[in-house]
Amino acid sequence: MSFNVLIVDDSNAMRAVIKKIIAMSGFKMDECWEAGSGKEALETLSHAWVDVIISDINMPEMNGLELIGRLKGDELYKEIPVIIVSTEGSAERMREAFVQGAQGFIKKPFLPEDLRKTLYEVIGVGTDGEYTEDATSVDELDF
Amino acid sequence: MENILKMQQALTNSIFEVFERMFYVFLEPAESPDGEHPYRVAISFSGPLMGELMAFFSRPLAETMLKNMLNVGENEINERLTSDCLKESVNMICGNFLSKHDSGQVFDLSIPTCTSGLQVDGIKAATDFGALRLDFSGGEGSLIVMMTFSGRDLSVG
Repeated sequence: MSFNVLIVDDSNAMRAVIKKIIAMSGFKMDECWEAGSGKEALETLSHAWVDVIISDINMPEMNGLELIGRLKGDELYKEIPVIIVSTEGSAERMREAFVQGAQGFIKKPFLPEDLRKTLYEVIGVGTDGEYTEDATSVDELDF
Repeated sequence: MENILKMQQALTNSIFEVFERMFYVFLEPAESPDGEHPYRVAISFSGPLMGELMAFFSRPLAETMLKNMLNVGENEINERLTSDCLKESVNMICGNFLSKHDSGQVFDLSIPTCTSGLQVDGIKAATDFGALRLDFSGGEGSLIVMMTFSGRDLSVG
């Protein structure tokens, strides 16, 4: 089983780093989509199937928290897990992200292991790429 | 004065943390590094503490950061990618510093900007306005970081 990932960050460099770490982690990634803002992410979602979103908060046009709000208000996208990767690591900001619906939060600067571990936990697969018992399978999702 | 020293230490620790984790560069404090620092990156922040963080990068350091972060070769380095990499570094330093300053408060960060061409004279002029200044060497280059700040919350948690 492999997964489609959408990386949302206004920094090309950070998107490239995240993509590299995911590839090196052994995570079974099929397509990797990239977007420079929340707005671009929504445009991508209109034509691409995405299994997990990794998003920054501080971006122009539409920030990461606004993006989560839009996703959670949309029947088609509300079940897509979102991991926030941000420099804004205050307890209140993290709480805000989880209340909005984020399922993971990683503070920059991060170690490759932090991203790998959170990605596996959030999407609910073991290192073999298969769903763990606690995971929500695509078949269980209510569209 | 004690608060300023604590802020200086917190900022120094944030700079070390970001450079070591993301760029594999081990900086050391230096005294007024010579040479050109053609990249100026700035980010402002607001909340209980308000201000601006500016960093001036020498070209060799900027190139080392980019190579280490993205594992790219000489021929793949360009100004756009360099600017992007430097902006991200300052974004991370600022966010990390503010978390150390007070993890219980929410701060808003601006989108970082990168301009080139400001030389040492410009840095000296900025320092004369009373900014906190830190100098470093490493990664075959050097870095000057300055921060101006104001606000009701000047204690370090």
